[in-house]
Amino acid sequence: MTAIESPMPRSVGRILRPRTRQTLLLWCFLAPSLVIFLLYRVIPVIWNLVLSFQYWSPLKAAEFAGWDHYEDLWFDDVFWQALWNTLIVIASAPIGIALALGLALLVNADIRGRNVYRTIIFLSYPLMTVAVAIIWRWMFDERVGLINYAARTFDLVDKPIPFLNSFTWALPSVIVANIWQMLGFYMIILLAGLQNVPRELHEAAAIDGAGALHRFTRITLPLIRPSLFLAFVIGMLNAITSFDLVYVMTGGGPGRATEILVTYIYKLGFVQTKFDSAAAVTIVFFVLLISIAWAANRFTGGNAGAVETE
Amino acid sequence: MMGRYPRWPIHFALIGAGIVMLVPFYWVLKTSVSGENIYAYPPSIVPRHIHPFFYIDVWYSIPFARYFLNSVAVSIIAVVCNVAFNAMAGYALTHGFRGKNAVMLLFLSCMMVPFQATIIPAYLITGKLGLLDSWLGLALPQCSTIICIFVFKSSFDAVPRSLIDAARIDGLPEWRIIWHIMLPLSRSAIATNVILAFIWSWNNFLWPLIMTRSADMQTLPLGLARFLSYQEDTTGALYAFCIMVLAPGLVLFLMAQKEFIQGLTSGATKG
Repeated sequence: MTAIESPMPRSVGRILRPRTRQTLLLWCFLAPSLVIFLLYRVIPVIWNLVLSFQYWSPLKAAEFAGWDHYEDLWFDDVFWQALWNTLIVIASAPIGIALALGLALLVNADIRGRNVYRTIIFLSYPLMTVAVAIIWRWMFDERVGLINYAARTFDLVDKPIPFLNSFTWALPSVIVANIWQMLGFYMIILLAGLQNVPRELHEAAAIDGAGALHRFTRITLPLIRPSLFLAFVIGMLNAITSFDLVYVMTGGGPGRATEILVTYIYKLGFVQTKFDSAAAVTIVFFVLLISIAWAANRFTGGNAGAVETE
Repeated sequence: MMGRYPRWPIHFALIGAGIVMLVPFYWVLKTSVSGENIYAYPPSIVPRHIHPFFYIDVWYSIPFARYFLNSVAVSIIAVVCNVAFNAMAGYALTHGFRGKNAVMLLFLSCMMVPFQATIIPAYLITGKLGLLDSWLGLALPQCSTIICIFVFKSSFDAVPRSLIDAARIDGLPEWRIIWHIMLPLSRSAIATNVILAFIWSWNNFLWPLIMTRSADMQTLPLGLARFLSYQEDTTGALYAFCIMVLAPGLVLFLMAQKEFIQGLTSGATKG
Protein backbone atom coordinates (compact mmCIF):
# COMPACT_ATOMS: atom_id res chain seq x y z
CA MET A 1 0.00 0.00 0.00
CA THR A 2 2.56 2.48 1.08
CA ALA A 3 4.75 1.53 -1.82
CA ILE A 4 1.99 2.44 -4.25
CA GLU A 5 0.64 5.45 -2.44
CA SER A 6 3.81 7.26 -1.64
CA PRO A 7 4.94 8.18 -5.15
CA MET A 8 1.46 9.48 -5.98
CA PRO A 9 1.46 12.71 -3.98
CA ARG A 10 4.95 13.47 -5.15
CA SER A 11 4.14 13.14 -8.83
CA VAL A 12 0.86 14.98 -8.38
CA GLY A 13 2.77 17.67 -6.55
CA ARG A 14 5.28 17.88 -9.35
CA ILE A 15 2.54 18.38 -11.96
CA LEU A 16 0.23 20.56 -9.93
CA ARG A 17 2.57 22.87 -8.18
CA PRO A 18 4.10 24.60 -11.21
CA ARG A 19 0.64 24.94 -12.69
CA THR A 20 -0.82 26.56 -9.58
CA ARG A 21 2.26 28.71 -9.40
CA GLN A 22 1.74 29.80 -12.97
CA THR A 23 -1.94 30.52 -12.42
CA LEU A 24 -0.98 32.61 -9.43
CA LEU A 25 1.61 34.45 -11.48
CA LEU A 26 -0.92 35.17 -14.22
CA TRP A 27 -3.33 36.58 -11.67
CA CYS A 28 -0.52 38.79 -10.37
CA PHE A 29 -0.02 40.03 -13.93
CA LEU A 30 -3.71 40.82 -14.18
CA ALA A 31 -3.90 42.40 -10.74
CA PRO A 32 -2.91 46.03 -11.53
CA SER A 33 -5.37 46.32 -14.40
CA LEU A 34 -8.08 44.57 -12.43
CA VAL A 35 -7.60 46.90 -9.47
CA ILE A 36 -7.88 49.96 -11.73
CA PHE A 37 -11.01 48.68 -13.43
CA LEU A 38 -12.57 47.73 -10.11
CA LEU A 39 -11.83 51.17 -8.67
CA TYR A 40 -12.85 53.22 -11.68
CA ARG A 41 -15.44 51.12 -13.50
CA VAL A 42 -17.09 48.40 -11.41
CA ILE A 43 -17.38 50.07 -8.02
CA PRO A 44 -18.54 53.41 -9.52
CA VAL A 45 -21.40 51.75 -11.38
CA ILE A 46 -22.61 50.01 -8.22
CA TRP A 47 -22.02 53.06 -6.06
CA ASN A 48 -23.97 55.24 -8.50
CA LEU A 49 -26.89 52.87 -8.29
CA VAL A 50 -26.81 52.85 -4.49
CA LEU A 51 -26.33 56.61 -4.28
CA SER A 52 -29.31 57.29 -6.52
CA PHE A 53 -31.59 55.69 -3.92
CA GLN A 54 -30.17 57.64 -0.98
CA TYR A 55 -30.22 61.11 0.47
CA TRP A 56 -26.55 61.78 0.81
CA SER A 57 -24.11 64.63 0.79
CA PRO A 58 -20.47 64.61 1.88
CA LEU A 59 -21.27 65.92 5.35
CA LYS A 60 -24.44 63.96 6.05
CA ALA A 61 -25.15 60.35 6.95
CA ALA A 62 -26.91 58.42 4.21
CA GLU A 63 -30.65 57.97 4.41
CA PHE A 64 -32.84 55.78 2.25
CA ALA A 65 -34.65 57.84 -0.37
CA GLY A 66 -36.52 55.27 -2.43
CA TRP A 67 -37.45 56.56 -5.85
CA ASP A 68 -37.46 60.22 -4.70
CA HIS A 69 -34.58 61.37 -6.90
CA TYR A 70 -36.07 59.75 -9.96
CA GLU A 71 -39.42 61.33 -9.15
CA ASP A 72 -37.72 64.72 -8.91
CA LEU A 73 -36.17 64.14 -12.30
CA TRP A 74 -39.58 63.40 -13.77
CA PHE A 75 -40.69 66.93 -12.86
CA ASP A 76 -37.34 68.54 -13.69
CA ASP A 77 -37.55 70.54 -16.94
CA VAL A 78 -33.78 70.87 -17.17
CA PHE A 79 -33.42 67.10 -17.09
CA TRP A 80 -35.87 66.64 -19.97
CA GLN A 81 -34.16 69.39 -21.93
CA ALA A 82 -30.76 67.74 -21.35
CA LEU A 83 -32.12 64.34 -22.38
CA TRP A 84 -33.69 65.80 -25.52
CA ASN A 85 -30.49 67.64 -26.47
CA THR A 86 -28.48 64.47 -25.91
CA LEU A 87 -30.79 62.60 -28.27
CA ILE A 88 -30.41 65.34 -30.90
CA VAL A 89 -26.63 65.15 -30.66
CA ILE A 90 -26.80 61.36 -31.01
CA ALA A 91 -29.09 61.70 -34.02
CA SER A 92 -26.51 63.97 -35.67
CA ALA A 93 -23.85 61.25 -35.71
CA PRO A 94 -25.16 59.69 -38.98
CA ILE A 95 -24.63 63.01 -40.79
CA GLY A 96 -20.94 62.91 -39.96
CA ILE A 97 -20.74 59.25 -40.92
CA ALA A 98 -22.41 59.87 -44.30
CA LEU A 99 -19.94 62.69 -45.02
CA ALA A 100 -17.07 60.48 -43.92
CA LEU A 101 -18.28 57.68 -46.19
CA GLY A 102 -18.12 60.06 -49.16
CA LEU A 103 -14.60 61.13 -48.21
CA ALA A 104 -13.52 57.53 -47.63
CA LEU A 105 -14.72 56.57 -51.12
CA LEU A 106 -12.77 59.48 -52.62
CA VAL A 107 -9.60 58.75 -50.65
CA ASN A 108 -9.91 55.07 -51.51
CA ALA A 109 -9.80 55.94 -55.21
CA ASP A 110 -6.56 55.26 -56.97
CA ILE A 111 -5.18 58.80 -56.96
CA ARG A 112 -1.95 60.55 -56.21
CA GLY A 113 -1.44 62.08 -52.78
CA ARG A 114 -4.15 60.08 -51.06
CA ASN A 115 -2.03 59.74 -47.93
CA VAL A 116 -1.72 63.51 -47.72
CA TYR A 117 -5.48 63.95 -48.02
CA ARG A 118 -6.04 61.24 -45.43
CA THR A 119 -3.66 62.88 -42.97
CA ILE A 120 -5.22 66.31 -43.40
CA ILE A 121 -8.75 65.02 -42.91
CA PHE A 122 -7.73 62.95 -39.89
CA LEU A 123 -5.66 65.72 -38.31
CA SER A 124 -8.43 67.16 -36.14
CA TYR A 125 -9.25 63.91 -34.38
CA PRO A 126 -6.27 63.50 -32.02
CA LEU A 127 -6.34 67.15 -30.97
CA MET A 128 -7.27 68.36 -27.53
CA THR A 129 -11.02 68.91 -27.53
CA VAL A 130 -10.77 71.96 -25.28
CA ALA A 131 -8.60 73.65 -27.92
CA VAL A 132 -10.96 72.51 -30.69
CA ALA A 133 -13.81 74.12 -28.77
CA ILE A 134 -11.89 77.40 -28.54
CA ILE A 135 -11.04 77.26 -32.25
CA TRP A 136 -14.72 76.88 -33.09
CA ARG A 137 -15.81 79.58 -30.68
CA TRP A 138 -13.57 81.87 -32.67
CA MET A 139 -14.91 80.60 -36.01
CA PHE A 140 -18.49 81.23 -34.84
CA ASP A 141 -17.67 84.62 -33.30
CA GLU A 142 -20.37 87.19 -33.90
CA ARG A 143 -18.13 90.10 -34.85
CA VAL A 144 -15.04 88.71 -36.56
CA GLY A 145 -15.68 84.97 -36.85
CA LEU A 146 -14.87 83.59 -40.26
CA ILE A 147 -18.34 82.11 -40.73
CA ASN A 148 -20.15 85.37 -40.10
CA TYR A 149 -17.58 87.24 -42.15
CA ALA A 150 -18.08 84.91 -45.12
CA ALA A 151 -21.86 85.02 -44.77
CA ARG A 152 -21.83 88.82 -44.69
CA THR A 153 -19.37 89.14 -47.55
CA PHE A 154 -21.54 86.98 -49.78
CA ASP A 155 -24.67 88.78 -48.56
CA LEU A 156 -26.23 85.64 -47.12
CA VAL A 157 -27.25 87.46 -43.95
CA ASP A 158 -28.01 91.10 -43.15
CA LYS A 159 -26.97 91.00 -39.55
CA PRO A 160 -24.24 88.77 -38.09
CA ILE A 161 -25.67 85.72 -36.32
CA PRO A 162 -24.55 85.29 -32.69
CA PHE A 163 -24.31 81.53 -33.21
CA LEU A 164 -23.31 80.43 -29.73
CA ASN A 165 -25.61 82.89 -27.96
CA SER A 166 -28.68 82.01 -29.95
CA PHE A 167 -31.23 79.49 -28.77
CA THR A 168 -31.74 78.20 -32.30
CA TRP A 169 -28.14 78.05 -33.46
CA ALA A 170 -26.14 77.08 -30.38
CA LEU A 171 -26.78 73.33 -30.52
CA PRO A 172 -26.28 73.00 -34.31
CA SER A 173 -23.03 74.96 -33.95
CA VAL A 174 -21.73 72.56 -31.32
CA ILE A 175 -22.76 69.66 -33.56
CA VAL A 176 -20.83 71.14 -36.49
CA ALA A 177 -17.70 71.37 -34.35
CA ASN A 178 -18.21 67.81 -33.15
CA ILE A 179 -18.60 66.47 -36.69
CA TRP A 180 -15.53 68.42 -37.79
CA GLN A 181 -13.48 66.72 -35.10
CA MET A 182 -14.86 63.20 -35.62
CA LEU A 183 -14.96 63.16 -39.42
CA GLY A 184 -11.43 61.87 -39.87
CA PHE A 185 -11.91 59.06 -37.39
CA TYR A 186 -15.08 57.81 -39.10
CA MET A 187 -13.26 58.03 -42.41
CA ILE A 188 -10.38 55.87 -41.16
CA ILE A 189 -12.77 53.19 -39.90
CA LEU A 190 -14.73 53.16 -43.16
CA LEU A 191 -11.53 53.17 -45.18
CA ALA A 192 -10.40 50.02 -43.37
CA GLY A 193 -13.69 48.44 -44.44
CA LEU A 194 -13.41 49.66 -48.04
CA GLN A 195 -9.94 48.24 -48.40
CA ASN A 196 -11.34 44.79 -47.69
CA VAL A 197 -13.71 44.99 -50.65
CA PRO A 198 -12.07 42.90 -53.38
CA ARG A 199 -11.41 44.91 -56.53
CA GLU A 200 -12.26 41.92 -58.75
CA LEU A 201 -15.88 42.03 -57.58
CA HIS A 202 -16.21 45.56 -58.89
CA GLU A 203 -14.45 44.72 -62.12
CA ALA A 204 -16.64 41.67 -62.72
CA ALA A 205 -19.79 43.68 -62.04
CA ALA A 206 -18.61 46.46 -64.33
CA ILE A 207 -18.01 43.99 -67.13
CA ASP A 208 -21.53 42.67 -66.58
CA GLY A 209 -22.71 46.21 -67.18
CA ALA A 210 -23.52 47.36 -63.64
CA GLY A 211 -23.39 51.14 -63.25
CA ALA A 212 -21.36 52.90 -60.56
CA LEU A 213 -24.39 53.57 -58.37
CA HIS A 214 -25.51 49.98 -58.67
CA ARG A 215 -22.07 48.68 -57.77
CA PHE A 216 -21.99 50.97 -54.73
CA THR A 217 -25.37 49.89 -53.35
CA ARG A 218 -25.06 46.21 -54.25
CA ILE A 219 -21.40 45.49 -53.58
CA THR A 220 -19.71 48.19 -51.52
CA LEU A 221 -22.44 48.95 -48.98
CA PRO A 222 -23.20 45.34 -47.99
CA LEU A 223 -19.51 44.53 -47.70
CA ILE A 224 -18.64 47.47 -45.47
CA ARG A 225 -21.65 46.96 -43.23
CA PRO A 226 -19.54 45.93 -40.20
CA SER A 227 -17.36 49.06 -40.38
CA LEU A 228 -20.41 51.19 -40.98
CA PHE A 229 -22.06 49.89 -37.83
CA LEU A 230 -18.83 50.24 -35.91
CA ALA A 231 -18.70 53.89 -36.97
CA PHE A 232 -22.31 54.30 -35.80
CA VAL A 233 -21.58 52.81 -32.39
CA ILE A 234 -18.46 54.92 -31.92
CA GLY A 235 -20.25 58.00 -33.18
CA MET A 236 -23.11 57.58 -30.77
CA LEU A 237 -20.82 56.88 -27.84
CA ASN A 238 -18.84 59.98 -28.75
CA ALA A 239 -21.98 62.09 -29.08
CA ILE A 240 -23.40 60.97 -25.76
CA THR A 241 -20.14 61.69 -23.92
CA SER A 242 -18.99 64.92 -25.58
CA PHE A 243 -18.58 66.89 -22.40
CA ASP A 244 -15.47 68.91 -23.23
CA LEU A 245 -16.83 70.47 -26.39
CA VAL A 246 -20.14 71.57 -24.89
CA TYR A 247 -18.62 72.74 -21.63
CA VAL A 248 -16.04 74.97 -23.29
CA MET A 249 -18.06 76.17 -26.28
CA THR A 250 -21.29 77.14 -24.53
CA GLY A 251 -21.23 75.86 -20.96
CA GLY A 252 -24.68 74.40 -21.64
CA GLY A 253 -26.13 77.82 -22.50
CA PRO A 254 -27.67 80.06 -23.61
CA GLY A 255 -30.19 79.19 -20.93
CA ARG A 256 -30.19 75.42 -21.16
CA ALA A 257 -30.17 75.30 -24.96
CA THR A 258 -27.08 73.08 -25.18
CA GLU A 259 -27.31 71.28 -21.84
CA ILE A 260 -26.67 67.57 -22.35
CA LEU A 261 -26.87 64.80 -19.75
CA VAL A 262 -23.13 64.75 -19.06
CA THR A 263 -22.87 68.48 -18.45
CA TYR A 264 -25.98 68.30 -16.26
CA ILE A 265 -24.42 65.49 -14.20
CA TYR A 266 -21.31 67.59 -13.76
CA LYS A 267 -23.26 70.67 -12.72
CA LEU A 268 -25.52 68.80 -10.30
CA GLY A 269 -22.61 66.97 -8.73
CA PHE A 270 -19.77 69.44 -8.67
CA VAL A 271 -21.42 72.87 -8.87
CA GLN A 272 -24.51 72.29 -6.72
CA THR A 273 -22.94 69.38 -4.73
CA LYS A 274 -26.08 67.28 -5.10
CA PHE A 275 -24.20 64.02 -5.54
CA ASP A 276 -27.32 61.92 -5.02
CA SER A 277 -29.44 63.60 -7.73
CA ALA A 278 -26.43 63.54 -10.05
CA ALA A 279 -26.16 59.80 -9.45
CA ALA A 280 -29.79 59.38 -10.49
CA VAL A 281 -29.13 61.28 -13.75
CA THR A 282 -26.05 59.11 -14.26
CA ILE A 283 -28.19 55.98 -14.00
CA VAL A 284 -30.57 57.34 -16.66
CA PHE A 285 -27.54 58.20 -18.80
CA PHE A 286 -26.24 54.70 -18.33
CA VAL A 287 -29.54 53.08 -19.27
CA LEU A 288 -29.61 55.19 -22.45
CA LEU A 289 -26.08 54.06 -23.26
CA ILE A 290 -26.84 50.39 -22.70
CA SER A 291 -29.99 50.56 -24.81
CA ILE A 292 -28.05 52.12 -27.68
CA ALA A 293 -25.42 49.41 -27.44
CA TRP A 294 -28.12 46.76 -27.28
CA ALA A 295 -29.95 48.20 -30.28
CA ALA A 296 -26.72 48.41 -32.29
CA ASN A 297 -26.00 44.83 -31.33
CA ARG A 298 -29.40 43.68 -32.54
CA PHE A 299 -29.06 45.50 -35.84
CA THR A 300 -25.74 43.88 -36.61
CA GLY A 301 -26.95 40.48 -35.53
CA GLY A 302 -24.55 40.36 -32.61
CA ASN A 303 -21.52 41.66 -34.42
CA ALA A 304 -21.15 44.91 -32.56
CA GLY A 305 -20.62 42.99 -29.34
CA ALA A 306 -17.42 41.65 -30.86
CA VAL A 307 -16.26 45.20 -31.50
CA GLU A 308 -12.85 45.88 -30.05
CA THR A 309 -12.35 42.35 -28.76
CA GLU A 310 -9.91 39.86 -30.13
CA MET B 1 -11.79 49.32 -67.22
CA MET B 2 -11.32 50.70 -63.72
CA GLY B 3 -8.93 53.58 -63.48
CA ARG B 4 -10.10 55.28 -66.68
CA TYR B 5 -12.33 57.74 -64.91
CA PRO B 6 -11.12 61.38 -64.75
CA ARG B 7 -9.21 62.18 -61.59
CA TRP B 8 -9.68 65.91 -61.33
CA PRO B 9 -13.18 65.89 -59.75
CA ILE B 10 -11.84 63.67 -56.98
CA HIS B 11 -8.90 65.98 -56.35
CA PHE B 12 -11.25 68.92 -56.47
CA ALA B 13 -13.58 67.45 -53.82
CA LEU B 14 -10.73 66.34 -51.59
CA ILE B 15 -8.99 69.70 -51.77
CA GLY B 16 -12.29 71.27 -50.76
CA ALA B 17 -12.56 68.92 -47.78
CA GLY B 18 -8.94 69.61 -46.89
CA ILE B 19 -9.61 73.34 -46.86
CA VAL B 20 -12.61 72.87 -44.56
CA MET B 21 -10.44 70.84 -42.21
CA LEU B 22 -7.50 73.25 -42.22
CA VAL B 23 -9.11 76.68 -42.29
CA PRO B 24 -10.14 76.70 -38.60
CA PHE B 25 -6.49 76.08 -37.64
CA TYR B 26 -5.38 78.83 -39.94
CA TRP B 27 -7.91 81.29 -38.56
CA VAL B 28 -6.67 80.75 -35.01
CA LEU B 29 -3.02 80.79 -36.04
CA LYS B 30 -3.58 84.02 -37.92
CA THR B 31 -5.23 85.63 -34.91
CA SER B 32 -2.46 84.50 -32.58
CA VAL B 33 0.31 86.19 -34.56
CA SER B 34 -1.35 89.36 -35.78
CA GLY B 35 -0.31 92.56 -34.10
CA GLU B 36 -3.50 94.48 -34.87
CA ASN B 37 -6.71 94.66 -32.88
CA ILE B 38 -8.23 91.23 -33.25
CA TYR B 39 -11.73 92.72 -33.33
CA ALA B 40 -11.10 94.97 -36.32
CA TYR B 41 -13.79 94.50 -38.96
CA PRO B 42 -13.49 93.29 -41.64
CA PRO B 43 -11.03 90.70 -40.29
CA SER B 44 -7.91 90.42 -42.41
CA ILE B 45 -7.43 87.18 -44.29
CA VAL B 46 -3.65 87.24 -44.00
CA PRO B 47 -2.07 88.27 -40.70
CA ARG B 48 -0.94 91.90 -40.64
CA HIS B 49 1.95 93.20 -38.54
CA ILE B 50 3.10 89.70 -37.59
CA HIS B 51 4.18 89.79 -33.99
CA PRO B 52 4.90 87.21 -31.24
CA PHE B 53 3.40 89.55 -28.63
CA PHE B 54 0.52 87.25 -27.67
CA TYR B 55 2.88 84.31 -27.09
CA ILE B 56 5.01 86.37 -24.75
CA ASP B 57 1.85 87.57 -23.07
CA VAL B 58 0.77 83.98 -22.40
CA TRP B 59 4.14 83.13 -20.95
CA TYR B 60 3.95 85.97 -18.43
CA SER B 61 0.25 86.11 -17.62
CA ILE B 62 -0.22 82.45 -16.69
CA PRO B 63 2.08 79.84 -15.14
CA PHE B 64 2.44 78.09 -18.49
CA ALA B 65 5.55 76.20 -17.42
CA ARG B 66 3.77 74.85 -14.35
CA TYR B 67 0.76 73.65 -16.38
CA PHE B 68 3.11 72.10 -18.89
CA LEU B 69 5.04 70.30 -16.15
CA ASN B 70 1.81 68.94 -14.66
CA SER B 71 0.58 67.74 -18.04
CA VAL B 72 3.90 66.07 -18.82
CA ALA B 73 4.16 64.42 -15.40
CA VAL B 74 0.63 63.05 -15.53
CA SER B 75 1.11 61.83 -19.10
CA ILE B 76 4.36 60.08 -18.22
CA ILE B 77 2.77 58.27 -15.27
CA ALA B 78 -0.21 57.29 -17.42
CA VAL B 79 1.92 56.10 -20.34
CA VAL B 80 4.39 54.08 -18.26
CA CYS B 81 1.68 52.40 -16.19
CA ASN B 82 -0.44 51.82 -19.26
CA VAL B 83 2.26 50.00 -21.18
CA ALA B 84 3.42 47.95 -18.19
CA PHE B 85 -0.03 46.97 -16.89
CA ASN B 86 -1.57 46.35 -20.31
CA ALA B 87 1.36 44.23 -21.47
CA MET B 88 1.15 42.14 -18.29
CA ALA B 89 -2.61 41.72 -18.57
CA GLY B 90 -2.41 41.02 -22.30
CA TYR B 91 0.23 38.36 -21.65
CA ALA B 92 -1.87 36.72 -18.97
CA LEU B 93 -4.83 36.54 -21.35
CA THR B 94 -2.83 34.60 -23.93
CA HIS B 95 -2.82 31.68 -21.46
CA GLY B 96 -5.66 29.49 -20.38
CA PHE B 97 -6.26 29.55 -16.65
CA ARG B 98 -9.07 29.24 -14.14
CA GLY B 99 -11.28 32.31 -14.20
CA LYS B 100 -10.10 33.57 -17.56
CA ASN B 101 -13.62 33.72 -18.96
CA ALA B 102 -14.76 35.76 -15.99
CA VAL B 103 -11.89 38.20 -16.54
CA MET B 104 -12.68 38.53 -20.24
CA LEU B 105 -16.32 39.14 -19.44
CA LEU B 106 -15.35 41.77 -16.88
CA PHE B 107 -13.08 43.56 -19.35
CA LEU B 108 -15.68 43.54 -22.09
CA SER B 109 -18.40 44.89 -19.84
CA CYS B 110 -16.06 47.53 -18.40
CA MET B 111 -15.58 48.76 -21.95
CA MET B 112 -19.25 49.71 -21.96
CA VAL B 113 -18.73 52.08 -19.02
CA PRO B 114 -17.55 55.47 -20.25
CA PHE B 115 -15.60 57.55 -17.78
CA GLN B 116 -18.29 60.23 -17.86
CA ALA B 117 -20.71 57.80 -16.21
CA THR B 118 -18.41 57.28 -13.23
CA ILE B 119 -17.34 60.78 -12.29
CA ILE B 120 -19.11 61.07 -8.95
CA PRO B 121 -18.01 57.78 -7.37
CA ALA B 122 -14.59 58.15 -9.04
CA TYR B 123 -14.19 61.48 -7.26
CA LEU B 124 -15.31 60.03 -3.94
CA ILE B 125 -13.06 56.96 -4.30
CA THR B 126 -10.03 59.05 -5.20
CA GLY B 127 -10.82 61.20 -2.18
CA LYS B 128 -10.89 58.10 0.05
CA LEU B 129 -7.51 57.07 -1.36
CA GLY B 130 -6.20 60.52 -0.45
CA LEU B 131 -5.11 61.19 -4.01
CA LEU B 132 -7.22 64.24 -4.86
CA ASP B 133 -5.20 67.09 -6.27
CA SER B 134 -2.12 64.96 -7.01
CA TRP B 135 -0.32 63.73 -10.13
CA LEU B 136 -0.94 60.10 -9.27
CA GLY B 137 -4.63 60.73 -8.71
CA LEU B 138 -4.87 62.51 -12.05
CA ALA B 139 -3.23 59.61 -13.86
CA LEU B 140 -4.74 56.67 -11.97
CA PRO B 141 -8.04 56.19 -13.86
CA GLN B 142 -6.06 56.12 -17.10
CA CYS B 143 -3.38 53.71 -15.97
CA SER B 144 -4.83 50.78 -17.87
CA THR B 145 -7.01 50.67 -20.96
CA ILE B 146 -8.92 47.67 -22.20
CA ILE B 147 -8.50 48.35 -25.91
CA CYS B 148 -4.73 48.36 -25.46
CA ILE B 149 -4.82 45.14 -23.42
CA PHE B 150 -6.41 43.49 -26.44
CA VAL B 151 -3.88 45.10 -28.78
CA PHE B 152 -1.13 43.49 -26.68
CA LYS B 153 -2.97 40.18 -26.48
CA SER B 154 -3.28 39.86 -30.24
CA SER B 155 0.34 40.88 -30.68
CA PHE B 156 1.50 38.24 -28.17
CA ASP B 157 -0.76 35.65 -29.77
CA ALA B 158 1.15 36.16 -33.00
CA VAL B 159 4.48 35.16 -31.39
CA PRO B 160 5.27 31.60 -32.53
CA ARG B 161 4.38 29.07 -29.85
CA SER B 162 7.52 27.02 -30.58
CA LEU B 163 9.74 29.95 -29.66
CA ILE B 164 8.16 30.23 -26.23
CA ASP B 165 8.24 26.48 -25.65
CA ALA B 166 11.93 26.40 -26.56
CA ALA B 167 12.65 29.18 -24.10
CA ARG B 168 10.68 27.39 -21.41
CA ILE B 169 12.56 24.13 -21.98
CA ASP B 170 15.78 26.09 -21.61
CA GLY B 171 14.45 27.05 -18.20
CA LEU B 172 13.86 30.75 -18.74
CA PRO B 173 11.62 32.23 -16.03
CA GLU B 174 8.33 33.77 -17.11
CA TRP B 175 9.39 37.39 -16.75
CA ARG B 176 12.46 36.82 -18.92
CA ILE B 177 10.32 35.21 -21.61
CA ILE B 178 8.23 38.36 -21.64
CA TRP B 179 11.19 40.72 -21.49
CA HIS B 180 13.52 39.01 -23.99
CA ILE B 181 11.10 37.39 -26.44
CA MET B 182 7.59 38.78 -26.31
CA LEU B 183 8.26 42.49 -25.93
CA PRO B 184 10.94 42.84 -28.62
CA LEU B 185 8.54 41.13 -31.02
CA SER B 186 5.71 43.49 -30.09
CA ARG B 187 7.29 46.85 -30.82
CA SER B 188 4.34 48.11 -32.83
CA ALA B 189 1.89 47.22 -30.06
CA ILE B 190 4.04 49.15 -27.61
CA ALA B 191 4.25 52.15 -29.92
CA THR B 192 0.49 52.09 -30.41
CA ASN B 193 -0.10 51.95 -26.69
CA VAL B 194 2.38 54.73 -25.93
CA ILE B 195 0.79 57.06 -28.45
CA LEU B 196 -2.82 56.34 -27.54
CA ALA B 197 -2.13 56.63 -23.81
CA PHE B 198 -0.26 59.87 -24.31
CA ILE B 199 -2.96 61.49 -26.44
CA TRP B 200 -5.74 60.39 -24.08
CA SER B 201 -3.98 61.65 -21.02
CA TRP B 202 -2.66 64.87 -22.64
CA ASN B 203 -6.15 65.81 -23.85
CA ASN B 204 -8.07 64.75 -20.78
CA PHE B 205 -10.20 67.54 -19.40
CA LEU B 206 -13.16 66.32 -17.33
CA TRP B 207 -11.14 64.45 -14.71
CA PRO B 208 -8.66 67.27 -13.94
CA LEU B 209 -11.61 69.68 -13.92
CA ILE B 210 -13.27 67.67 -11.17
CA MET B 211 -10.40 66.69 -8.97
CA THR B 212 -7.81 69.48 -8.97
CA ARG B 213 -8.30 72.17 -6.38
CA SER B 214 -5.06 74.11 -6.25
CA ALA B 215 -3.93 76.30 -9.13
CA ASP B 216 -0.57 74.51 -8.93
CA MET B 217 -2.03 71.20 -10.04
CA GLN B 218 -3.83 72.33 -13.17
CA THR B 219 -2.97 70.67 -16.44
CA LEU B 220 -2.86 72.40 -19.83
CA PRO B 221 -6.46 71.74 -20.95
CA LEU B 222 -7.73 72.94 -17.61
CA GLY B 223 -5.47 75.99 -17.74
CA LEU B 224 -6.78 76.74 -21.22
CA ALA B 225 -10.41 76.50 -20.13
CA ARG B 226 -9.73 78.64 -17.04
CA PHE B 227 -7.95 81.22 -19.16
CA LEU B 228 -11.02 81.39 -21.39
CA SER B 229 -13.37 81.87 -18.44
CA TYR B 230 -11.26 84.68 -16.92
CA GLN B 231 -10.48 86.57 -20.11
CA GLU B 232 -13.44 85.68 -22.34
CA ASP B 233 -12.26 85.75 -25.95
CA THR B 234 -11.09 89.31 -25.75
CA THR B 235 -7.37 88.74 -26.14
CA GLY B 236 -5.31 87.14 -28.85
CA ALA B 237 -3.30 85.51 -26.07
CA LEU B 238 -6.06 82.91 -25.78
CA TYR B 239 -5.37 81.78 -29.33
CA ALA B 240 -1.62 81.84 -28.80
CA PHE B 241 -2.17 79.60 -25.77
CA CYS B 242 -4.35 77.37 -27.92
CA ILE B 243 -1.61 76.94 -30.51
CA MET B 244 1.01 76.27 -27.82
CA VAL B 245 -1.16 73.53 -26.33
CA LEU B 246 -1.99 71.94 -29.68
CA ALA B 247 1.58 71.84 -30.96
CA PRO B 248 2.98 68.89 -28.93
CA GLY B 249 0.07 66.59 -29.70
CA LEU B 250 0.15 67.56 -33.35
CA VAL B 251 3.89 66.95 -33.70
CA LEU B 252 3.65 63.59 -31.96
CA PHE B 253 0.75 62.56 -34.15
CA LEU B 254 2.50 63.52 -37.37
CA MET B 255 5.62 61.61 -36.28
CA ALA B 256 3.77 58.44 -35.37
CA GLN B 257 0.72 58.64 -37.58
CA LYS B 258 0.99 55.07 -38.79
CA GLU B 259 1.02 53.52 -35.33
CA PHE B 260 -1.75 55.80 -34.17
CA ILE B 261 -4.11 54.90 -37.00
CA GLN B 262 -3.14 51.25 -36.80
CA GLY B 263 -3.89 51.21 -33.09
CA LEU B 264 -7.27 52.83 -33.50
CA THR B 265 -8.34 50.57 -36.34
CA SER B 266 -6.94 47.37 -34.85
CA GLY B 267 -8.51 48.20 -31.52
CA ALA B 268 -11.74 48.99 -33.26
CA THR B 269 -12.16 46.55 -36.14
CA LYS B 270 -10.82 43.25 -34.88
CA GLY B 271 -13.62 40.80 -34.59
